Amino acid sequence: MKFITRILRPEQVRELVTLFLIVIIVLGFGAFLKDYYTGRTFVRISTSIAIIAVVAMAQTLVAITRNIDLSLGSIVGFCAFFLGVQLSYHHEIGPVPAALIAIAVGTAMGLINGLIIAYGRVPAIITTLGTMAIYRTAIVFYSAPEGGIVSAHRLPLWARQFASWSIFKMGDLDFRVMVGIAILVVIIFQLILTYLPYGRRLYAIGSNPEAARIAGFPAQRIVFIAYLIGGALAGLGGYLFLLQYGNLMVLAGVGLEFDAVAAAVVGGVNIFGGTGTAIGAFLGATLIGTLDYSLRRWPAISEFWRNAILGLLILLAVATDSAIMARLRLMWARAAAAMTMELAESKTSSSPQA
Amino acid sequence: MQSSRLASLRRMQFLRSWEAILFFVFLAILLYNATRVPAYLTVGNQINVFYLYAEKIIVALIMTFIIINGEIDLSVASVMGLCAGVLGRLLEMGVRGEYAIAAALVTGLLCGLWNGLWIAYARLSSLIVTLAGMIMFRGLVWVMVEDRSITNFPAWINHLGQDAILGPFPLSLIIFFVLLIFAYIVLHHSAFGRYVYVIGNNREVARFSGVKVQQIKLILFATSGLISALAGVLYAARLGAMRSSTAEGFELEIITMVLLGGVNIFGGSGSLIGVLLSILTVLNLRNGMSLANITLQQQTGVIGALLIFSVLVPNLAGRVRAELNRRRFARLAAEQTAPAERKEVKAESK
Amino acid sequence: MKAIAMRLIAVLVILSLVLTACAPAATPAPTQPPTQAPTQPPTAAPTQAPTAAPTKAAGPVKATPGKKVDMVLLPKFLGNIVFDQAYAGAQEAHKELQNPGQLQFLGPTPENSVAGQIEIITAATTQRVNAIMISNNAGDQIVPAVKKAREAGITVVTWDSPIPSAEGEQVFVAQVDFNETGRVMAEMALHILGEGGGKLAILSASPDAANQNAWIAAFKEVLKTDPKYSKLELLDIVYGNDQFEDSYRQALALVDKYPDMRLIMAPTTIGIAAASKAMQDEGLCDKVKVSGLGLPVEMVSYTLNGCAPEFALWSFTDLGYLTYYVTYLLATGAIKGEIGERFEAGRMGTYTIEKDPTRPVGLRVLMGPFSIYNKDNVEAEAK
Repeated sequence: MKFITRILRPEQVRELVTLFLIVIIVLGFGAFLKDYYTGRTFVRISTSIAIIAVVAMAQTLVAITRNIDLSLGSIVGFCAFFLGVQLSYHHEIGPVPAALIAIAVGTAMGLINGLIIAYGRVPAIITTLGTMAIYRTAIVFYSAPEGGIVSAHRLPLWARQFASWSIFKMGDLDFRVMVGIAILVVIIFQLILTYLPYGRRLYAIGSNPEAARIAGFPAQRIVFIAYLIGGALAGLGGYLFLLQYGNLMVLAGVGLEFDAVAAAVVGGVNIFGGTGTAIGAFLGATLIGTLDYSLRRWPAISEFWRNAILGLLILLAVATDSAIMARLRLMWARAAAAMTMELAESKTSSSPQA
Repeated sequence: MQSSRLASLRRMQFLRSWEAILFFVFLAILLYNATRVPAYLTVGNQINVFYLYAEKIIVALIMTFIIINGEIDLSVASVMGLCAGVLGRLLEMGVRGEYAIAAALVTGLLCGLWNGLWIAYARLSSLIVTLAGMIMFRGLVWVMVEDRSITNFPAWINHLGQDAILGPFPLSLIIFFVLLIFAYIVLHHSAFGRYVYVIGNNREVARFSGVKVQQIKLILFATSGLISALAGVLYAARLGAMRSSTAEGFELEIITMVLLGGVNIFGGSGSLIGVLLSILTVLNLRNGMSLANITLQQQTGVIGALLIFSVLVPNLAGRVRAELNRRRFARLAAEQTAPAERKEVKAESK
Repeated sequence: MKAIAMRLIAVLVILSLVLTACAPAATPAPTQPPTQAPTQPPTAAPTQAPTAAPTKAAGPVKATPGKKVDMVLLPKFLGNIVFDQAYAGAQEAHKELQNPGQLQFLGPTPENSVAGQIEIITAATTQRVNAIMISNNAGDQIVPAVKKAREAGITVVTWDSPIPSAEGEQVFVAQVDFNETGRVMAEMALHILGEGGGKLAILSASPDAANQNAWIAAFKEVLKTDPKYSKLELLDIVYGNDQFEDSYRQALALVDKYPDMRLIMAPTTIGIAAASKAMQDEGLCDKVKVSGLGLPVEMVSYTLNGCAPEFALWSFTDLGYLTYYVTYLLATGAIKGEIGERFEAGRMGTYTIEKDPTRPVGLRVLMGPFSIYNKDNVEAEAK
């Protein structure tokens, strides 16, 4: 026990639990679905979670600071639309400038959210509920001259083929570029959250805003930057969204914000701040994506059961989570207390001056 | 002593300014509609203003309680759909209308209890529980009704849903006004209402002072389920038919109306008067814009902007005032700067 | 002035003729002649409706231009290019008939379609417009609102998607015969899969879209009853909810679920485009083909690269144009909306109001026919 508490933190145990659940689901469905253990299953699940994983990063970032962003789906939609229209008229734009365009637009929308929330002191849920509607309306206005759609056939060739670009390929097993981008984003943010002072401050603000303020953290700026980065990530999400689906309607990205909340929560991110990791949110997205795909594949389950089962799963995940995590934290706290006691004892015995 | 009076004074000012802003916005809309929009001032249209949103504003009443209590219920629209589905399926099977309606209401109550048990006793976050409920209950409607449209309700159900019952008023509006009065009395003039506020302010304090927190939360969510069921039945009766997607997406509009009414999303403050003002504002705004042929999506955008500005403007005004005060205080004696300092702290924690 | 008066008299005379001719004729409903052969040579301009209901009326009714009729064209939702095309068609007719009234194109967003359509109809009723043209997305839920509009004296015509119970609606302008749609889909499937047939699945819009369900039902019926299509096996029906993302995922899940499936039939313009993109992205076009109802402009690249070798559609521009004419004639009282009435719809020729054989009740005007698109003609049409 002592050994475990020393090498793992509660969050990491939580991540292992999510991973374990994914393995169980895969083994369970693999036992009776035909052709389940193929590279193709990997391709399907990995590509279907690429976008949601990126958006879930944005949600995780703001959730850690005790905030929420309900406008993410609308930002994804607007960025996808904006880029789609630009690409329809300017075939000379390449993949990298296109990504930068989408990220810039997303950042601008995140900037508006951040200004209102951090400096205007309007609660995040109210602000983003409002901007969710406003950004969606912006899509309607922006797309009106185009007939409200972006069509794949008007995009440049690279944009039409991007979804099938792969990093490496082994028979059926195909590791796509968009999946690579998503994983890269997850790794970067895991590193930021763990090692950069900025990341640690996000946790500090989320777990105890009063203490963080007294400690002199510029809380407003930290939250503001979180929304800025969240917007940028949603912009990247919009980029991937456009390239995966090619055809867009004004509803593009509707509901992504709730999917992102669900992924983050299932992955152990506390929506009320202070805890959660990037890898956890990614695993949460993977868990939901795996289950969703597997349920679609299951012939015995009618189309209509999928949502009922998915809703129940989210609830159970959170319920077991809260039961297990409370116990884990207690265990760790005890172990830590024991350890500091030991340390203190050894210290007092070794250096009597202190 | 002095500071607490100052605080209450400040709160009154804040409330007054919030409701004042809403009231003036409402007046402006009313004036604009009355002078610029033809057909706005007819009796038929005035009824329509409410009639088209009757179900949503009925649910907004119970949502006010839940948000003041510091929780949220995202599952209301799915419960509406599920209960409309139960009603439709039972009518289709030839069950008598009264029993079908009763069964629909019981279904809503059960959904509410399901949410409430997880929230009150398992102490899970209501945002997550009801998000799961939103997905799950909607899933159950799909399972039950699949790809069909259920219609051919008994004539009396259609009559209750679609025709004027009392003077020009249809049943749904009568129910709304009765529930509004009832809700007002319960929230603002009863022990239960006080507990709702106390819990919303601070759950732990409420528990230590002997308030049955879990019981009250359970009652609130069960009532939310029941009211949503009622709204679902009324909606089905108004349309004379139901499908799996009935009432989809209503939850955000309902929550928006409550928040626009000045109810604090973190619980503890807000009033039904504010919510009523917000309902009047939103409904008249939408009606006026509809008659001016502004699309529904643009209306939603306008209401989203209104939601943000209704909080942002008082906040900014407050900060400007605070800044002016501080400068004035700074010119006065040093001991009088204390309240201004405290004001800063208060604003920071918001 | 005199000319107008003369024309009015003429219209009245014709009207009374039609009325007297039709009152008794209503009981023996005109028998439906066998519908057209499904695979016609692709035509850009649709030919005349094939109904041969014998009417004793003296010639078709013609529209009197220049009357003020305020109209609302209500699509299922905004943001689908086909509805914009229908609006363009209606505008063309609006100009042609020199209607001094307003033609408004108002629609809800897709996620708010049902409540939105009802709200728009109610607002239009309050504004006392003269006519509403509805592509119904709310099933029978729309009936109370439409009935109130009718009570206020507003002309109500449905197009693209009717009111299932026909309550409140005067006439439905059908793009094609709904039973015919099933046969056309089966014919395309057989054509793509070859005489040996094969297994296929349907990717539909939302599970409660009335016209989609009618087409799927007709398709199933044809597979069951016509031995010609006995080699086609329908595996499953899934729903993409008229969203590209959902449809895309559903199409891929179908491929994995049924390894021996060889065709995805998507009777929705959004579903067929999403499924084609999915097959192309995954390099599955050699194995699984896509067909259904699609827009040439969106499908052209998939048709040329073989992912969707053949698909069908009708002209939404013509549908909007015809709907406008029917509505204008009804609103001006030139026709009454009764079985057997014949009228002229501008450049599109003469049509007849008939009993809708695809619903238990209700009247329709049948536009038709399908245009079938393949690699030979899709480029020209996509221009």
